[in-house]
Amino acid sequence: MIGPEFPAVLEAAARGDEEAFGRLWHDLQPRLLRYFMVAAPAAAEDLASETWLAVVRGVDRFRGGELPFRAWVFTIARHELLDWRRRAARRPIEDSPIAGLIDLAAPDDPAAAAVEGFSTRAALAVVATLPADQAEAVMLRVVAGLGVDRVAAIMDKRPGTVRVLTHRGLRRLAERLGADARIRRVV
Amino acid sequence: MGDDDASFADMRRLTDPDADPLALDEETVERLLAGDLSPSQAPPAYAQVAALLAAAAAEPTPDELAGRPEVLAELRAATRTPRRGGAHTRRAVRPRRRRWAGLAAVALVGALVTGGAAAAASGNLPGPVGHAARSILGTIGGGLGTATTTRPASSPAPAASGPASTGVTAGPKGPRSTGSTAPGSGPRGAAGPTAVPSKEGLCKAYLASRDKEQGKKMESAAFERLVEAAGGESGIPAYCDGIHPGDPKPKDKKQQPPGGGQGPGQGGSPPGGDRQGQDQPQSTRASNR
Repeated sequence: MIGPEFPAVLEAAARGDEEAFGRLWHDLQPRLLRYFMVAAPAAAEDLASETWLAVVRGVDRFRGGELPFRAWVFTIARHELLDWRRRAARRPIEDSPIAGLIDLAAPDDPAAAAVEGFSTRAALAVVATLPADQAEAVMLRVVAGLGVDRVAAIMDKRPGTVRVLTHRGLRRLAERLGADARIRRVV
Repeated sequence: MGDDDASFADMRRLTDPDADPLALDEETVERLLAGDLSPSQAPPAYAQVAALLAAAAAEPTPDELAGRPEVLAELRAATRTPRRGGAHTRRAVRPRRRRWAGLAAVALVGALVTGGAAAAASGNLPGPVGHAARSILGTIGGGLGTATTTRPASSPAPAASGPASTGVTAGPKGPRSTGSTAPGSGPRGAAGPTAVPSKEGLCKAYLASRDKEQGKKMESAAFERLVEAAGGESGIPAYCDGIHPGDPKPKDKKQQPPGGGQGPGQGGSPPGGDRQGQDQPQSTRASNR
């Protein structure tokens, strides 16, 4: 998060100031990468690059504060993702193996999860096992750090739907991680 | 699963601990999503989830920050376009306004395109820009030796007589240079005052390729750049509106391309203005990761 300096940073970035644009990039690129890693792991870097191309092209016309800007960037990101899916004629995410990431997660290894905690990649791999909409809602709330209304606008859904998606997503994560018998259940 | 309906039964099942041991109330959901609950503070069934979410939202890693030079190069290329008074001046003190407005800018660009075409054909443009320029000129001019003759590619100001948005890269999609993601592989204007054969050249090539009689096929790399600049194949007629080949031979056929919208996935105009332009109420705390 850039904070109170954001308007000045945006203005400078729109004028081509590289340091300012670098700050936008620093704040958003990791979020974008993680967003794409969950939905399209093999193409994450390319999709992030494509997103930045569009951001570079449009940054001088954007008007708004930091969170609207972030939401704008993720709207672009989502379009890139949808385009990628169409081009690649992908199967639904539920059917796709998340190659290369599943073995990093080892969520069924209670020792790893309990002692070492999660690496970011492992966490993303587990989120990637959710149904696509739930995963996306969780990522936009948690990693993009956007509120329900903005996430709803990005996903073109009602806020109530987004709430249900995230709620279900968390629940499913709990079930998945709690497959280990050592997790006590609330009675 | 019908994810689109937040039915009452769904919500009750999700929030009622009697009905479901994994139930969560809405406030706890929000706090989990916001990272306000540590694993020890979270409901026991969600301790691992809290840890997972914290990891998902953790600080950037060096790997994730690796591509910065490339994106700054993109920015440089996109902003270093010829403008009034010199190619390398930063716009730091200019008032914010539409960059390509004004006939003066249009005429300047027209002259630069002419000069650029000559420079390209004679090999004076550097590296990838020169290569791209030559490939486009080759498409529309029929070969390298065309700079000294009057060909459509080199026609001066009259071709730039379109709307004020005519320019190196202007248009409703934003006054940015087109180009693919591969660095240095497209006409980015990085060569400074030698204009890239972008909008005018591309549009002419496109129009020429649409001509049934002349029918010269447009180079795919050039076509891709045009699609990108126009924000999609279906946007090309609007984007090229006002560009005339300037030569009686290629007919000015502004046909609607078939299929449309199959561009390289740039998603056309970023939807910045519409929903996201206004500040929506922020319904959760801590969107400040």
